[in-house]
Amino acid sequence: MVESDDGGIMLLKDKNAIITGCAQGIGKAMLEIFAANGANVWACARVKTDEFESTAKALSEKYHVEIWPVYFDMTDHDELKLAVKSITSTKRPVDILVNNAGITYNALFLMSTMAKLREVFEVNFFSQFLLSQYIAKTMMRQKKGSIINISSSAAIEGNAGRSVYGASKAAVICATKAMAEELGEFGVRVNSIAPGITRTSMLTSMTEKVIQDTILQSDMKRLGNPEDIANAALFLASDMSSYVTGQVLRVDGGLQ
Amino acid sequence: MLLKGKNAVVTGCLKGIGRSTLDLFARNGANVWACCQYESPEFSEHIKELAATNNVWITPLYFDLLDPEQIKTAAHSIRESKQPVDILVNIAGMTHDALFHMTTMDQMKKVFEVNFFSQMLLTQYITKNMIRHKSGSVISISSISALDGNPGQLSYTASKAAIIGATKTLSAELAGYGIRVNAVAPGVINTEMTANLPTEVMARLMARSDLKHMGLPEEVAEVILFLASDMSSYITGQIIRVDGGIG
Repeated sequence: MVESDDGGIMLLKDKNAIITGCAQGIGKAMLEIFAANGANVWACARVKTDEFESTAKALSEKYHVEIWPVYFDMTDHDELKLAVKSITSTKRPVDILVNNAGITYNALFLMSTMAKLREVFEVNFFSQFLLSQYIAKTMMRQKKGSIINISSSAAIEGNAGRSVYGASKAAVICATKAMAEELGEFGVRVNSIAPGITRTSMLTSMTEKVIQDTILQSDMKRLGNPEDIANAALFLASDMSSYVTGQVLRVDGGLQ
Repeated sequence: MLLKGKNAVVTGCLKGIGRSTLDLFARNGANVWACCQYESPEFSEHIKELAATNNVWITPLYFDLLDPEQIKTAAHSIRESKQPVDILVNIAGMTHDALFHMTTMDQMKKVFEVNFFSQMLLTQYITKNMIRHKSGSVISISSISALDGNPGQLSYTASKAAIIGATKTLSAELAGYGIRVNAVAPGVINTEMTANLPTEVMARLMARSDLKHMGLPEEVAEVILFLASDMSSYITGQIIRVDGGIG
């Protein structure tokens, strides 16, 4: 382990990571925690904003790492492809890919429209799948890499009103396990994180009752913080988890 | 330094995963009550060096898991120290190979005594300490064979499955006191326990694993370190497979 100036540890010193969905919530927390641990990051977001640009710059200066903002819409495969090109053309090794960007959708099964179903799968599954295909090729050539897919407790438990979202996140789990099997012999590990309810803007899509009920169902009786999830991603990204692959790590305070 | 200034109880420190955990904890700044079945000059020398190099204290505790009185005495000496215990890692265990119908009740009881009852007793003593200071992390070693089954290892796999049930229940009971409880389920790890695996069994396991190689004790220790540290502050009641992707 490499230590930083203040005696902390640098679990990702000189590694290069791609993180999607960095503008807010869990992705934003990951960006900072990865940078603090010495990683250079291609910080992906949907739209370019002054705020995001200045955050990236500030983190880069604070932690003496490179942060390269990359902008693309997950639903636009041409944009996604261009973004990948901009990353791979740098010829830098890609050590870590975190598929974090996602959207939520709450609706009863009978009220869920096909259009919404397709939209949610497009962002939460198809585009991640495509991005992983491109990046896994690079990792296979390097003979190492760690891919982390953000799933959800909703994929494991199944929650009323979350058939669409939960199904898209369950697809992520299945893909994780298949990818782990296919990529393992190339030294690429693939794992998933299933967060419980976490303090992000996604919370606003849930009713207060659902939130309170979920808190009561958890051993720790509290919501997760974006940093809790980011630290679990740090573990899976780092060599601390060198013999962990094909797993779904629940970070949910012990949901029953 | 993920465990700077924390105090940990680690059992099974003589060799294998326990020894790696002891070393990694010390390197990360933890003080350790290093529990072993018996005293050895090599071990005494090792912990002296480890403590000096990492500027931590390491207190050896010797007890036999088959003897509850010895466990009680060890727990008592920890309590006497008046130190808070932040981490408990239940690693010490035994393996037992026998087909179901060839397993005697005496053998089965012995395996459960070592792998489960004794750990529960120690966990009771230590979590009382954690409850008083309202924080702690308990980590127990289960096995992938507890989740997947393994022919010829009924008593071992059942005892390791008991740990999983206890982990989930303890997580629910102790979370209110700020204590997290998790388990690690190692796959085939290069230790004495797996040294006697028949070649064909080993080949079959490696073919099933995604990474196609055995794990090292250090790799399991790293996952234990993660669960012991604040990096896993929102993770409780979980069983983490450290198996290179078997099954």
